[in-house]
Amino acid sequence: MENQYDKGLDFIIDKFTNSIENTLTSEVFDTEVVRLSFVDAKQIKKSNWQFNWHKELMDNTKEVYKLTTVNNPTIIQGLLSIEDKHDHIFMHLIESAKFNKGKGKAYFGVPGNLIAYACKISFDKGHEGFLAFDAKSALIKHYEETLHATHFRGLRMFIETNAALRLISKYFRT
Amino acid sequence: MIKEPREVDLSTKSEPWTEQELADFRKIMQGIKSKNAKRKQRMVSGNNKRQSVR
Repeated sequence: MENQYDKGLDFIIDKFTNSIENTLTSEVFDTEVVRLSFVDAKQIKKSNWQFNWHKELMDNTKEVYKLTTVNNPTIIQGLLSIEDKHDHIFMHLIESAKFNKGKGKAYFGVPGNLIAYACKISFDKGHEGFLAFDAKSALIKHYEETLHATHFRGLRMFIETNAALRLISKYFRT
Repeated sequence: MIKEPREVDLSTKSEPWTEQELADFRKIMQGIKSKNAKRKQRMVSGNNKRQSVR
């Protein structure tokens, strides 16, 4: 049987890069991604989010992660919901915090950071970086250009091994 | 760092993929994974040859 670790990354990840940047000052902040469970639901105020994250937390098939800065772990910059499909990771939801949306967003880099983390999980689980998701039609080209995602059909997209490695190398120090 | 444009918000809500879509995706994925495995095997055998020459 093939060893799971043969499918993993060839380098050791020890730290996230300074991967979100203040849009006004260009100041860069160290970030961390932490898994949330149902008991952490109170950290997520429903009125601050477009999607129903409490529902995601209650669903045992899904894993929910929050992105925060290292210095301010109580302020959630973005959320991610994924599911292990046994040969790839499926991204159900990704959303930046209210203050990271629109022209007045506080930080750049929140979604890219979370997507890179989802790719890392895909490697950790032996899925060779594969991540599948749907994109809004207006964003398909953007995902192709910035994430090197592959447009599969309709709104369906995926990130394959090489694209996942590129993303991870952008966001993790080795 | 990937900086999304100010006017673009990269949020995503995926709908469940159909069985057919999953099957087609898995075919493509398996193709890429077997190419990855072959490439890795070539690299390993290349390294082994270089070591045995030394």
